[in-house]
Amino acid sequence: MSSAITGQWQEAMHLDDLWEGEMEGVEIDGKKVLLVNIDGEVRAYKNRCPHQAWALDEGDFDGQTITCVRHMWTFDALSGKGTNPDNCELITYPCRVEEDGTILVDVG
Amino acid sequence: MSTRRHVLVGGGVAAAATATHLRKHGFDGEIVLVGDEPQPPYERPPLSKDFLLGTTEFEEFQVRPPAWYDEQSVDLRVGIRVTAIDVPGRSVTLSTGERLGYDGLVLATGVRPRRLPGFDGDRVHYLRTAADSQRLRAQLAESERVVVIGAGFIGCEVAAAAVGLGKQVTIFDPAPTPLARVLGATIGSVMTGIHRSRGVQIRAGEYISELRHTGDGMLLTSNLGHRVECDLVVVGIGCEPNVELAAEAGLATDGGIVVDEYGRTSAPDIYAAGDVAAQYHPVYGRTIRVEHHDNALRQGANVALNLTGSAEPFAEAHWFWSDQYEHSLQSVGRPADLEDLVIRGSLEDHDFSAFSLVDGRIQAVISLNRPRDVLEVRRMLFAPHEVTAEQLRDESVPLKRLIPRSPRATARA
Repeated sequence: MSSAITGQWQEAMHLDDLWEGEMEGVEIDGKKVLLVNIDGEVRAYKNRCPHQAWALDEGDFDGQTITCVRHMWTFDALSGKGTNPDNCELITYPCRVEEDGTILVDVG
Repeated sequence: MSTRRHVLVGGGVAAAATATHLRKHGFDGEIVLVGDEPQPPYERPPLSKDFLLGTTEFEEFQVRPPAWYDEQSVDLRVGIRVTAIDVPGRSVTLSTGERLGYDGLVLATGVRPRRLPGFDGDRVHYLRTAADSQRLRAQLAESERVVVIGAGFIGCEVAAAAVGLGKQVTIFDPAPTPLARVLGATIGSVMTGIHRSRGVQIRAGEYISELRHTGDGMLLTSNLGHRVECDLVVVGIGCEPNVELAAEAGLATDGGIVVDEYGRTSAPDIYAAGDVAAQYHPVYGRTIRVEHHDNALRQGANVALNLTGSAEPFAEAHWFWSDQYEHSLQSVGRPADLEDLVIRGSLEDHDFSAFSLVDGRIQAVISLNRPRDVLEVRRMLFAPHEVTAEQLRDESVPLKRLIPRSPRATARA
């Protein structure tokens, strides 16, 4: 599930602070956002597990899979799709990285 | 040429997982899922927690939306029982009288609550199904005094929910410490303290020997001669596996339907998964029956693998959780001795992990409000490692530093 691009890009973080294999919770416009760096690809998701709204940055990221520690639901970090269970997905925010390494996120 | 057909018996998460994974692995024959409850498969954990509190509704914890079964060509037969298996004839008989041939048969018939003789009636509750939980939720709304018989997970979770709804709750359990059988006396005491601090009365070492219905409630008498009046009784004293169908067909049962590490019963092409399955676990070298949600899902998925031709032993660690109030209790592994645990963190602050450690190997961890520890241990449990009690107690050393890491996780740009 993705929210639409509204063109309101906001600075979320700098790539230097989000290494490959890391995830980080940030707040943009009062919205909790999870930033993930998967082998150089950056993704932004709503920082809430679709199961019981637990904060995902308290969970685990092994480079590929995001695990919510509350009940061990797992998500593919690149697509945001649930892998166990597979009938759910994370809410994606549009996200891009500027040439200077600034990570921009559009939370609408 | 006739189409292959797999019949899945039982309408819980294990059977649903088998159906899902059969399709995932490319099985394009018929899948018939027969469940005796009126609803399609749903998750049971919320039934003793959020559903009672009214913070979640049934639609939110269905395993799949109803339309999924059509989309995936899964022939869903709800409200129907399988009454007999004809092993040589490779067919089952349904309660409708219909006979269904099978190529593969999966028995995921689950468990049923153990009943206390004489403890029946309108206001006595046993909790297993959505219907049980709906009935309990409706009656909780008009009850004040709740008695829970049995301080296991179900009893403790129901007590937490009932107190959350503002009820007066008393738990009776014959053991000196609630939950000690599954968590040990130390953690059992911590959980007892949590319940007491919320106003739950815990009567340990005491059980109800007599129940009498009065005009507007019930009068209970304990083994110590104490009398308690209440409006509602919940009995949570464990479960019994539904092995009858298998046993009558001559399949091996022994406190569950006996299966090997591939989920195979003693009869050809018949598998069992979930709460009912007593499965040989290759890591532990013995047969174990587990009554937990995660295990049912994983065994169900594993059986689908084996039905589609890739023989894969089920060798996963056992993991479970119990949410009580705002507390998250989780465990992975099988503790060697529940009275010999290494504590990391603080019991008093309700923020700890308790390790079962034997010869430098972690056997299990039970954590309260430290789910990350459980995740770390789950990764290392069956991998070679050597740690000391001192290392585990020392919180300045992150757990993951004690574990041999996979190259992937340590690689950095």
